[in-house]
Amino acid sequence: MDATLSGTPAGQVLAQKPTGRISDPIFVGLLWASGIFVLILLGLIIAMLFEGGLPALREFGIQFLWSTSWNPVTERFGAGVMVFGTLFSAVIAVIVALPLSFGIAFFLTEIAPGPLRRPIGVAVQLLAAIPSIIYGMWGFFVVVPLIAAYVQPPLIEWLGPLPVIGALFQGPPLGAGMLTAGLILALMIVPFITAMFVEVLESVPPMLKESAYGVGATTYEVYRNVSVPYGRTAMVGAVMLGLGRALGETMAVTFVIGNATRMSASLFAPGATIASTIANEFPEASMGSLKLQSLLQLGFILFVISFIVLALSRVLVRSKLKS
Amino acid sequence: MNFAPDTSLDIASAVNRATVPAGATKLKVEKLNFYYGENHALKNINFDIPEKRVTAMIGPSGCGKSTLLRVFNRMFQLYPGQRAEGKILFDGTDLLGKELDSTVVRSRIGMVFQKPTPFPMSIYDNIAFGVKLHESLSKAQMDERVEWCLRKAAIWEETKDRLHTSALGMSGGQQQRLCIARTIAVRPEVILLDEPTSALDPISTSKIEDLIDELKQEFTIVIVTHNMQQAARCADITAFFYLGELIEVGVSADIFTNPREPRTRDYITGRFG
Repeated sequence: MDATLSGTPAGQVLAQKPTGRISDPIFVGLLWASGIFVLILLGLIIAMLFEGGLPALREFGIQFLWSTSWNPVTERFGAGVMVFGTLFSAVIAVIVALPLSFGIAFFLTEIAPGPLRRPIGVAVQLLAAIPSIIYGMWGFFVVVPLIAAYVQPPLIEWLGPLPVIGALFQGPPLGAGMLTAGLILALMIVPFITAMFVEVLESVPPMLKESAYGVGATTYEVYRNVSVPYGRTAMVGAVMLGLGRALGETMAVTFVIGNATRMSASLFAPGATIASTIANEFPEASMGSLKLQSLLQLGFILFVISFIVLALSRVLVRSKLKS
Repeated sequence: MNFAPDTSLDIASAVNRATVPAGATKLKVEKLNFYYGENHALKNINFDIPEKRVTAMIGPSGCGKSTLLRVFNRMFQLYPGQRAEGKILFDGTDLLGKELDSTVVRSRIGMVFQKPTPFPMSIYDNIAFGVKLHESLSKAQMDERVEWCLRKAAIWEETKDRLHTSALGMSGGQQQRLCIARTIAVRPEVILLDEPTSALDPISTSKIEDLIDELKQEFTIVIVTHNMQQAARCADITAFFYLGELIEVGVSADIFTNPREPRTRDYITGRFG
């Protein structure tokens, strides 16, 4: 071979001391530590929330979960209003965000001409980068007055008197309330859902789409019958991820939801979510008080709800990626 | 070193068609040029594809044969930056002109791809999907149509008991015949086959080749293939493409036994490509 090759002479490499004898176990140990740390951290948080909230659960019993009273004066606390508000606002958010995300994602993957793809894609990403407090302020100063002035009055007038669905459109046009919170939340989760939809749609094999075009399908028919069914499970997973974010979102919601611990079926009624209630009342809750314990218990409930939604989304997303 | 066997003899023995194709011209390609952006992929192509015959397009990778296939059903129009100039007369109407809508073109000129592409739905729905786009049939009519095209594609016996199970559970060869059935279901006049057997085992391949023989009774077939024996066995007419140009076109028996052009001879005997 090449005699000018520099380095350890051939045949002597094995005689040298192995380099990784000490450093490698340290490296592996550190990796183990990082992994275990996550488990310990998660366990501690769950334990703290549960432990801290346990007295409230003892005091009010299991009814704490659905009781709708929240009265700091008489110290009667229940999670019903907040659980309802959390789910209601998150569901509104998903209902509004879903078609929007579908539209953006499909536009970006199929329709948008090359030069337009990047700017719109980046704009969607930037929406995700706006801090939630900014959404809250913008919602409070811009969206709430707009809704109170232009959206609610006609809706109350036209849809309010209808049977059944009329119940959704009752009450004074305050602006702040469930609907506004849901709309702001929708804007906040659109980037996440869109990003995942784009990924799913891009994973549809071009040949599969071409074969649908090949039997004479239009763009919409290909989308409706091939692309979406192909990625259906992963898309449901994406929606669940968005739902998970909407459930836990705090600051923006606190600004626009009206913060009333009353339960109402109306979209316009002010309400509260678990996160907004904790943000509002935590500073006023003194150490060891029943109120603080109830808030911790609320936190635990939120954790459980989010955990279930996240776990479900993971299962759905993964089931698609495997196949 | 060149390991390619001298296949000219095999091919010559495989050619079993002395028949000179007759019949009307189904597709007439006139002065066709095609561009991928700046890349001039097809250069001034002129040739005729006869009705109810099998026309094979052969040539090394990148010679433009698949491109031409994708011009016939306007698939290229899905992608910005790809454009075609010239004319392709389909029974006298310019395919590339404004008179025809691309969904109409694609329903009359069907296509089968290199790999089986069943839709993520049941066997029955895979077929019904395309039919529903163009016709509104009753349940009974649709059942009849599904059976008709599955029989045509020689896959009815294997699928009749599982029509409503997912098409994704079939073998590759079955999926490809399902894709052919799906293409036939729309009752096109021309069927484009883009290397339809390149992903299949020899047994499935021979079933598809038999099928091609059957189908030409009713349809005009254009097939792109890398397998010279396949072209010799199946095609009445063979066209040889090289670097975006149509080098030679003629009756398969002549092309494979007695090519006029030295480049054609070199290609079919495995000297390049």
